[in-house]
Amino acid sequence: MSETKFTIEHQSIGEIKCLKIQGYLDAHTAPQLESALGNLVEEGKHKIIVNFSELDYISSAGLGVFMVYIEDVRETGGDIKLAEMKPKVFTVFDLLGFPMLFEIVENNQAAIAKFAN
Amino acid sequence: MVATLNTNNNQISATGNTAELEKIRDFVGAQAKLFGFGEIDAFQIALAVDEACSNLIRHSYHNDNNRQFIVSIEKNNSELIIQVMDNGDTFNPMSVPEPDMEEYFKKFKRGGLGVQIMRKVMDKIEYIPAQTSTALNVLSLTKRLV
Repeated sequence: MSETKFTIEHQSIGEIKCLKIQGYLDAHTAPQLESALGNLVEEGKHKIIVNFSELDYISSAGLGVFMVYIEDVRETGGDIKLAEMKPKVFTVFDLLGFPMLFEIVENNQAAIAKFAN
Repeated sequence: MVATLNTNNNQISATGNTAELEKIRDFVGAQAKLFGFGEIDAFQIALAVDEACSNLIRHSYHNDNNRQFIVSIEKNNSELIIQVMDNGDTFNPMSVPEPDMEEYFKKFKRGGLGVQIMRKVMDKIEYIPAQTSTALNVLSLTKRLV
């Protein structure tokens, strides 16, 4: 059933936290990501990479999750950087102009380098 | 109240549960590809229908598993027309004003982007509210194959 259609893998890269998301991010699964990001922000982990390499789908419910926390993490000098998006997933971000607000980078290394600057 | 909605080959029924969205996307995406749309277009058409159904499930059916709606596909020359038919409260998504995205990002707003995705992806969106208590509301989403 749908419970297996979205998973989140947690990784730590020094002080940076990486959430590798896999599957379908829609109105059904978005609360899982909201909860995972919320836990990081609550723990004071404000440098976050979300790796999209295995994400096959996103709807506005998924986009909305990033809007919930972006202000909080930036206020403390952190960020949520979005890495390794498949082209079709990127089209959803692009449709609404999300690249205006979010840094979307090629891979985790590029995101780590951005945090270092 | 309609307990069970009858469907044919060009239709599927779903319940007021967001777990149903994947099945709707699969159905719409496959039909769009059969009609001749490429991978990205079919993906985005399925996305637009997902947005319509997500709004319906959440705002009209209040995630009630016992409520049903229908997603049907019509083909008219070069047009693929997807209809979402429900027996919930009437709500015309086109009544939602278009957001100013610069303002949206500046103020870190949340939600309300599903209708905007529908507008961006589809060529035509029409809403016909049910005229009687036993009729269905019909949201038609049209995409032209060019």
